[in-house]
Amino acid sequence: MLKKGIILLSSLLLASSALLAACSSGGTDSASHANTQNNENTQQAATAQPLTSLVKASDLSKLPEVSQKRDDTIIVGLTDPAGVFTPYFNQSGYDGNVISQLWTPLVTVDEKGLPLPNLAKSWDISKDNLTYTFHMVPGTKFSDGSPLTAEDVAFTWTLIYDKAYPGDSQIRKLNIKGGKAYTEGKAKQIDGIKVVDPQTISATLEKPNALALSILGDNVLSKAYYGKDYKFGQLDYFKNLHGSPLGNGAYKLEKFLPGQEVRMVANDHFFKGKPKTQHFIYKTAEGDAWQFIETGDTDFASFTATQENIDKLKGLGFLNILPYTPSTYGYLQVNLENEKLKDKRVRQALTYGLDRKSIYVDAAQGAGAVANIPASPIFWSYTTDGINPYNYDPEKAKKLLDEAGWVEGSDGIREKNGQKLTIHLLTSKRPETDTFIALAAENYKAIGVDLQPEIFADFNAMVAKVEGKDYDLAAFSTGMLTDPSDGIEQFVNGEIKGYNNPKVKELYEKGLSTTNIEERKKVYKELYVLLNDELPVIFTNYKKTVYAYNGRMEHVKVSPFIGLAGNLFEWSLK
Amino acid sequence: MSSFLTKRLTYMIIILLAASMMIFFLYAMTPGDFISGNLKLSPERKAELREIYGLNKPIFERYGNWLGNALHGNFGYSLAQQKPVLTLFNEYIWNSFLLAIVSTFLTWLIAVIIGVIAAYKQYSWFDTLVMVLIFAAMSLPSFFIGLYLIKIAAVDLKWLPPGGMLNTGSNATGMEYVKEVLQHMTLPVIVMTLLGLGSLTRYFRSNMIDVIQQDYIRTARAKGLKERKVLFTHALRNALLPAITLVGFELPALFGGSLIIEKIFNWPGIGQLYMQSFSLRDYPLLMGFTMLIAILSVIGTLLSDILYRIADPRVKV
Repeated sequence: MLKKGIILLSSLLLASSALLAACSSGGTDSASHANTQNNENTQQAATAQPLTSLVKASDLSKLPEVSQKRDDTIIVGLTDPAGVFTPYFNQSGYDGNVISQLWTPLVTVDEKGLPLPNLAKSWDISKDNLTYTFHMVPGTKFSDGSPLTAEDVAFTWTLIYDKAYPGDSQIRKLNIKGGKAYTEGKAKQIDGIKVVDPQTISATLEKPNALALSILGDNVLSKAYYGKDYKFGQLDYFKNLHGSPLGNGAYKLEKFLPGQEVRMVANDHFFKGKPKTQHFIYKTAEGDAWQFIETGDTDFASFTATQENIDKLKGLGFLNILPYTPSTYGYLQVNLENEKLKDKRVRQALTYGLDRKSIYVDAAQGAGAVANIPASPIFWSYTTDGINPYNYDPEKAKKLLDEAGWVEGSDGIREKNGQKLTIHLLTSKRPETDTFIALAAENYKAIGVDLQPEIFADFNAMVAKVEGKDYDLAAFSTGMLTDPSDGIEQFVNGEIKGYNNPKVKELYEKGLSTTNIEERKKVYKELYVLLNDELPVIFTNYKKTVYAYNGRMEHVKVSPFIGLAGNLFEWSLK
Repeated sequence: MSSFLTKRLTYMIIILLAASMMIFFLYAMTPGDFISGNLKLSPERKAELREIYGLNKPIFERYGNWLGNALHGNFGYSLAQQKPVLTLFNEYIWNSFLLAIVSTFLTWLIAVIIGVIAAYKQYSWFDTLVMVLIFAAMSLPSFFIGLYLIKIAAVDLKWLPPGGMLNTGSNATGMEYVKEVLQHMTLPVIVMTLLGLGSLTRYFRSNMIDVIQQDYIRTARAKGLKERKVLFTHALRNALLPAITLVGFELPALFGGSLIIEKIFNWPGIGQLYMQSFSLRDYPLLMGFTMLIAILSVIGTLLSDILYRIADPRVKV
């Protein structure tokens, strides 16, 4: 279930659809494992790839007729919206994409992931970093014209603390004062939430959390609409409202055709003004990115940035091509409870001994980069300073294994205490898996390690096997990450079992306890150096992707962190 | 006949009950559940959600609850889609049915005609050609034919849409709507018909060959009947008889959706929905769907038995 920063694995259908990120709501979805793309984002003004690398369409006359004729509609492919169009309740990241067009949050983020005013024109954070006060733009409305006030915000936050709340919103993790008492039914309301006036609301936390601003500054549910029938502990009535959302975003829902498309129409009451293009459609397009963009049935899609794909897209002539690096990272999860992998030197040897450049960059025709820390190069916290790049070095790997006491046996496989160095690797079925397995097995054989791969077509089954600790290494990729702490979280929340480093926990907390970016940068650098040395997981790769879109579309910007939602209302067709 | 029906109905109930148990326990014991795919959740939150969704209850209790509700016609809510399972079926199943019924009809029609002619002209050039084409169609995977047709007919020649069921954003009604759907279903129907054609044609051909060697066909000819009448009235009727058994098997397939075809052509059918639900471990939907197919299979078998008895009263069932 992936939501903004969730782990998903594997883009089974890598080239499949377009989608964008965003579910800044609480979308979760185990299915989205099928498509990393969705939760990934562009990088555009950020570090690695400058905006100049946008390739403009060379020949608009090649534009297919059907798309030439479209005047007031933009169509984007989306893998599989399920129809739960209520923020905080959606189970899939795809529904999250739809929600991000139907709602606009209190606080948004810039292209570096730092907070920007939106529905909240400003905010104050108390000196102790515990109380967050939001000042909202006056006069904003939901799409039916009803006013949006602080009462609606209070209702939304309170709702998440209901004991029957079935989603994965992070608001609960913030521990608003009195939230627990409310969940347990001991309080009628949450003490930490205060409506100061119709445009001002504050929340007081029990413990500082640098993410509070963006988590609290999320979407707002109308109390008049969603709260009409609300009774504590009874949220079943929401199910009847998922199909008829009332939001405040650039677009409002016109019609949902299951398995076909989600039609949206411009919201006249959008607080930044009516969108330039009257209709926006998410077309269900599982695995059909190519044929639909070629025939002009969709206007926008994303592809892995292989040379082959880029050449083909350029060859079509009518598409603008925008490269980006998503905010995810790939890694091999290590079973740290396994005796042979407890030794840091063995993990380092397995990293030195794996030719990651050949596997993730060359074999992918350049659609990737080697990762060494749990943060994407587009993050403000990204650094290579003091980071060991673990360049492919089989000799060094052998030496480390020798030091760790693993000596070569008669068959070339290393042994220690009569046990062979056999590594049982779990991975999911993806186009690039075959290359990975072939090269990795060869690399490891060269340093005396016997690799036994097992390939899963089904994500949940693989996760269950990992949870059952029946593995040595397991290949994963994170979903879209929005804050540096997202990439670290797995090392402190018990997800990487057997890893329990008090220093990491301390630094993680420290990184969240301040909102000062410079201070946070220092903390994350220290964390990256530490994790890069200890390797509780083996960092593998960053993906590289391109967005391709109809050359008639203007004012297109795609945010690395919130996808299309940031400026969709400005997109127009020339 | 009525004691036969009572007996059959009792068996049916027992079979369905057994099927439901097998299905439920199989799904429930497959590693991973609806919550486990969400790696973002903390272990505590996972436990809370399992409580909310009732996934932490003992397996027998879960089965009991499910069965009790199902007997009252309540198949529960899909976990992923938060809609009643039956509503979801209604949204998707008729699209699958439309593809299946049209392609099944075409398959049977073409298979009968080709099969009869091929049998009549056994070992002729026509027969040989048909056999070669049939083997070719049977040995090509559906995704290959499908993608190839999309490439040629949709992307290169732009004759037909590459997928979906309607033009995107279309508000067509009436005849316009029918026309759009027909255009969109042409390619998938061609692929499905091609796929089914091979085995069925061979089946009819060999049945027909058996029948036309029978004495009564020679008698019919000897009476001076026209060859067409001999073939299509006397011979075909008897050659089709064994095919009644096949009709029963077709029933679940009509509603089951074709996963590969639906996926390739982006058709909003139940097959796609089912696969997505499986990767999510959306138990209520999986259970409901599998039960539906089980029920249809049982009914299909019963129907074909009854039809067979009507068609050929000598048959004791």
